[in-house]
Formats: sequence, structure tokens, C-alpha cells
Amino acid sequence: MAKILIPTPLRQYAGKHDSVELKGSTVGEVLQSLTAQFSDLRRHLYTDEGKLRSFVNVYVNDDDIRYLKKEATPLQDGDTVSIVPSIAGGSAGAGVEAPPAALSKDEILRYSRHLIMPEVGMDGQLKLKNAKVALIGTGGLGAPLGMYLAAAGVGRIGLVDFDVVDFTNLQRQVIHGTKDVGRKKLDSAADTMLDINPYVEIDRFETALSSENALQILKDYDLVVDGTDNFPTRYLVNDACVLLGKPNVYGSIFRFEGQSTIFAYPGGPCYRCLYPEPPPPGLVPSCAEGGVLGILPGVVGLIQATETVKLILGTGEPLIGRLLLYDALAMRFRELKLRRNPECPVCGDHPTIRELIDYQQFCGIPSQTHEPAVSEGDIDPVEVQAKIDRGDPFVLIDVREPHEYQICRIPQARLIPLGDLPKRVNELDSADEIIAHCKSGMRSAKAVDFLKQAGFRKVRNMKGGILAWSDKVDPSVPKY
Amino acid sequence: MIRIEKLPWDTMVSHAEKIFPKECCGVMLGSDGVVREAVPLPNSYTGPQEDFFVMDPQDLYRVDREARAKGLDVLGIFHSHPNCDAYFSKRDLEHSCSWFSYVVLSIKNGRFDHANSYRPDFDQKEAPKEELIYG
Repeated sequence: MAKILIPTPLRQYAGKHDSVELKGSTVGEVLQSLTAQFSDLRRHLYTDEGKLRSFVNVYVNDDDIRYLKKEATPLQDGDTVSIVPSIAGGSAGAGVEAPPAALSKDEILRYSRHLIMPEVGMDGQLKLKNAKVALIGTGGLGAPLGMYLAAAGVGRIGLVDFDVVDFTNLQRQVIHGTKDVGRKKLDSAADTMLDINPYVEIDRFETALSSENALQILKDYDLVVDGTDNFPTRYLVNDACVLLGKPNVYGSIFRFEGQSTIFAYPGGPCYRCLYPEPPPPGLVPSCAEGGVLGILPGVVGLIQATETVKLILGTGEPLIGRLLLYDALAMRFRELKLRRNPECPVCGDHPTIRELIDYQQFCGIPSQTHEPAVSEGDIDPVEVQAKIDRGDPFVLIDVREPHEYQICRIPQARLIPLGDLPKRVNELDSADEIIAHCKSGMRSAKAVDFLKQAGFRKVRNMKGGILAWSDKVDPSVPKY
Repeated sequence: MIRIEKLPWDTMVSHAEKIFPKECCGVMLGSDGVVREAVPLPNSYTGPQEDFFVMDPQDLYRVDREARAKGLDVLGIFHSHPNCDAYFSKRDLEHSCSWFSYVVLSIKNGRFDHANSYRPDFDQKEAPKEELIYG
């Protein structure tokens, strides 16, 4: 006779018995006679096909029958048979994937300074190797991110960029070198990263992230790092991350200041909780317009890299619900608390945005990007040069800032910065023909508007600014 | 329906918060649908424990015997979901056992957020929510 201990939750199906004594020479036999005696018990232990359910473990005395002869395990008189469920679970929605078995000998050497820290260790390094990170942009923020995430051993990194390296990038985008000017940023970045760490797999997406492709591109990654520089893409990355349930490690930079946080972590705030509406187009200058300290994206990108690695390792306090502000001039960090907004249209309790939208339109940017022909009131730099050559009487004003005037100038131009124009307008004669220029034509267009409203009739804007002048008229004028 | 008395409930929450950001697990003992005692157990999963837990069957075996001695039943299993909601995930379902109530505690940034209880079916295909009363 063997004694079968009935698990307490199953006693209700076994006549409230704690244990049952049954005859049988194997485990299989006694379980069959047990379930013959108590038919309600059968479906709790066996599938319809008559196999023990996957969560049922059986012990003979203290030994798991999986390591004996399974159901054919013989029983002696006086043996005790116990039925114990196997219990496991976890929050991850995805199927259980086996982590890679081990690191190679070369990888162990490479990651030695990680492996000797218990906070990373072999488990952590394998998590990094298993991790799949999408990096949007390989510019200022993407440069340090790409290099350090590769060095740290993040196993798979998806790069999204469509740009080409140019000379103005090199002051900060250290993943690209002088030799890379003219190359695709994707190729240049991937080369640098693979040189740092050949054990990294790099997926290249040579495209602008868009509402059409974002979900498809990002869905295969564990988390997303936003290294973009414009509002439409930030909202796009944010919404895609919320919809996909993937954390968005965010950073932004301008002049001497940067910000970083983690958006779209389940339960945490998203970019729209912080900025429900984009700023009016043109109000917030881009780095191309306002400039950026070249080192700044290094600092901010590495804060993003740190948070990325921490999320992967599950170590430390993640930058969730906290917006970290960095001021390079004051050399100060500050922190603002962020909360998920229950009214948020994308991550709130009753979201109204359930798919990606037109982000150019949302940010007030006209969808058509074709260059308008020279409009009335515009004049081409070539024509301006012709007027100078002919000795036509006109006044050329440069409405840029004095520090820009120091970089390069058109000899005939008079410097009157846009902001000074109202108080210096009396220096100009409305009887004169006036042509205004700036760096690329935006500010001088405003100057022309201002002067027209002030009663000037003969004012025109030099199209494309001094950059176009350099291209079309005088290549010796440096571009910036 | 499952009701959890205050003492075991406090044990479960404080254990889950202590183990955060990893997943905790444990067993709920009681009778007639009322949990009177919670027994935290070690997460024996050897991989990353932030989103997975495994109970050592030996632990369950031992707890079941101890419950038996006290005249209590093992009513259910509890585990935590660090920094995510208390849903019954695909993984939970794949590893579930129809004998028990499964109480899932959502722990966000180290603090208890909310909880739900589920009754998985025999075939690990569905786990309907059941009413949960605690505290």
C-alpha cells in the first residue's frame, strides 16, 4: 500500500480526505486508481488525452518522479506519493525566450569590468546581450549613445537615420569622423560601433521615421532611445512607444541646456503628459538655428545611455516620472517631478489617440516641402551681385547678430540686427531700394515685413541668405 | 471570490515592495475562500527576475504539509508585477495551475499600486478575473 497525500486545494474533490491509501506497483497505477475513485479529481491532474497536466509534479517520498522513472516509478509498501503543482509566471507578455546560454571567452574578457560588479555580473551582461534597443537618429545624441551602448554589449541595436554626414556635424557627432563627410550616417555610425564591439548586431533603417513605418520598425525592440531633434518626430516616437508599450528614453538639447527622462514606461508619464501641444512652428529654434555646445549632446546622450542600460539590467532607480534638467553654463542639474496625466490623449485612462497620426500637420508644419519659387519681394543672390556689379544704387542690410557678422559678411552690407531694427529704422531712407539678408532668409523675411509695415515700399529679401550667397556668388564666404 | 485578511495582506504587500524591482512570489493559506496566512517564498528563477518567477516545488511541498498540519488549505498563489499593471500575462497563463487563485500585485516604483485575482482554467487557455477583497 502507498499513501497518496492530496494537495490541500484538491481535497474538496477527494471526499475531503487528506490522504488516501491505495494499492499499486507504480506511480501511474496508484494515480489511475485514485482518479477512478474520485472522478472530479481526474481533470485536475490529467488532460483529456490522459497525460499528466504540465503543472503537475509527483514526488515519491522526497524524490521528483521526473528524475526517477516518471509514471513507471515503482512503489514499495509504505511509500508516500505527493502531488505538487509547478508554479511560475511573470509580467512579460511575450513568450518565454531562453536567454543565450553563455558569453564566449572573448566576450568574458571584453566585459570583465562589468562582470566583476555584482550589480551587472554574468546575469546582467547576458541581459545586455539579449537586449534589443532602437536608436532613433545618429546625430548629436545618437553618437555617444551608439558608441557606448555598443561598447556596453547591448546585443542588438537598430539605427534609424536617413541623413548624410556633413562638416557642421563633426563639432559634436563624434561617432562620425572627417573621413566620413558625405557618407550615410547609418554606415558611418555602424562602422564605428562595430569597430568598438564586433559582437553587436546592428539593424540599419535608412529612412525617416514616419507614421507609416514607426510601429513596424520599433515593434521588435525592447526599448526605444529618442535621439531626434524635431517636434514631429518626438511626438511620433512618443505615441509609437505608448501604443507599443515600450519605454522611450528621451533626451533633448539646445545651446547650453539639456533634458532627459524616461517616457512611456507602463504607468509613467509620456511626452504628451509633459507637453500636450507642440509649440507654434518657428517659436523654438532648432540647434541649426540657435546653436548647441558641441559637448552638450555628449552629456545628455550618456544620461540616456545610462538609463537605457539600467532599464535593461533592472538596476537602480530609473529616471521615470522625473525630468532631469542640465545647465552646462551653471553646471547644475535640477529635477522636476512628472506624473502621468489621466486625461492624456494617448496614455491617459480614456485615450483618444489609438493610432499614429500626421505629426507634421499636428506640429503645424505644411506637408508640402517643395521650395517656393522666388516670390514677390524676394531677390536671388546672383541678381544682388549683378546690381553691385552694375553699380545700381541700393542699400544692403544684414539683419543677423554681431557674432554672426564676425564669422562672415558681404562687404557692401550694413549690420542692423533684426532686434535692433525698430529703433534704428530711422537710419534707413524709405526712398532707397533696400535689400535685406540674414543667414538663410528667415529673419530677413521678418525684417522685410517689418519695414513694409513701417511704410517702406522698395524692400526685398535676399533668398537663401548668406548661405546661398556662398553657394551662388562667392564660395570664399564660409558657411556656418 | 477570494478574501484576504489584513495580516496576510500586509505580509504580501510588504514582501512585494521589499523584493521590487524583482518579482516576488508566495502562497496564501486559509479556508473557505478566506486567506488567513501568507507565506512568502523565494523566487527560484535563475535568469532575470524582473519579469519572471519560479517557485521551487520543494517549497510548495513543504508549505502544503505545514498548512495541512495547521488545518489550512493552500488557497492561492501571489506574485508581483514590478512597474507594470496587475494583469494575467501570457507567461502567467502558460505556467498557471487551475487549482489556485492567482493574486497579482502591481508594484510601481517600489510602492503597491493595485491588485487583481484570477482563476486560470485547466488548459491554461483562460484566466477569468475573480472578485478580490483585501485588508
